Amino acid sequence: MAGGAKRAARSSPGSGDIPVDFSKKRDALVRGFLKRGVEFTEELLKENEELRRDVARLSVDGARLRAQVASDDAIRELLRTIEALEHEKKSLLERSNELESLSRNYEGRSGEMEREISDLATLHVAGTQLHTSFRPRRVVRQLAELMGQLVGAEAFVMYLIEPDGKNARAFYTEGLSAGTEPEPVAIADGVIGETCATGLLHMRRDGKLERGSFADPLAVVPLTVEGRPVGAIAVLAMLAHKAEWASVDEELFQLVGRSAGSALLSASLYASMESPLEALQGLRNGGSTDG
Amino acid sequence: MAELACLVVEDSPMMRQLIVFALARIKGIQVTEAEDGVDGLKKLAQKRFDIVLTDINMPMMDGLKLVKRIRGDAVHKDIPIIVITTEGAAEDRQRAMALGANAYITKPIQAPQVIAKVKELLKLT
Repeated sequence: MAGGAKRAARSSPGSGDIPVDFSKKRDALVRGFLKRGVEFTEELLKENEELRRDVARLSVDGARLRAQVASDDAIRELLRTIEALEHEKKSLLERSNELESLSRNYEGRSGEMEREISDLATLHVAGTQLHTSFRPRRVVRQLAELMGQLVGAEAFVMYLIEPDGKNARAFYTEGLSAGTEPEPVAIADGVIGETCATGLLHMRRDGKLERGSFADPLAVVPLTVEGRPVGAIAVLAMLAHKAEWASVDEELFQLVGRSAGSALLSASLYASMESPLEALQGLRNGGSTDG
Repeated sequence: MAELACLVVEDSPMMRQLIVFALARIKGIQVTEAEDGVDGLKKLAQKRFDIVLTDINMPMMDGLKLVKRIRGDAVHKDIPIIVITTEGAAEDRQRAMALGANAYITKPIQAPQVIAKVKELLKLT
């Protein structure tokens, strides 16, 4: 009875003919198989998890790369735009330089024209003012004012040629140092005498207009009547700030030469007459024809 | 543009004419001339001016007195004043500026110089 129970314990239920060892082996095999299955499944799950992470990472990388590519495109587009803008900027700068140059030219010409207009106005004013009066003193004053205010002469002497034509004598001075009396000038002698003889304008042109002298005046302006010299104005000094001749000065001197002589003569003749009607007597006596 | 009134006070007809010629280059400016300071004050009493140009050395009333009178007058005290002087008269120029002149021009005057100074004070472009 006890031996039968032992045999029954060694066999599995319902398989009374399978050896116990085999059954154990089988069970162990099954357990091992199941264990490996679990391990394998766990590995698979782990691997799957890793793959998921990889996929997620790759997805992020992909998105980043896609963004990078898009960004590169945008940069390339921006670079193209910048290049186009640089080109446009260069064109605009060139155009701006052209316009600036034109503007400078225009300003230069405009300034030149303004100066010419100013010079013409000065000449016009000088010409008209010399003939606004028939009183000799007034004419002389106008002439002195013209020399001082328009030319900028500080010291000058006005001469008239004596009737015998040998000498010129001073009749007006301005700006001479105290005690300086101008001597009569012999015609054709020295710069002043030469101008009285030739009727040609003399202007010193050797640089700065430093104070001159009777022997070396800065300018000698002939006073003429119908081209014939009747006197001269010798300029000995200019105002301190007038370092050089102005563009209008030579024309102003020429105008003075032509107009002042006749203005002085008219005033002198008028002063010697008793009335304007008497002064016009020359016209009544056939003075309407030349000569 | 509204017309701008300018008073030129100068005893020399030659200089006056030259200044008027220069000012005529400025569009919309109307010039009134006065022979000396007294005449200038009379003109100021008759009309409102936008700017005054005055010589310094004049008979009756000189430019310095005129500047002083204008600056002391409630109606005209703010009018811009340009004095016209000779280069050598630095003292007169300084006195004029101290009395309230806004600018000065030296003789012999040049039209572009007058135009520029007047435009500057009247803020004309």
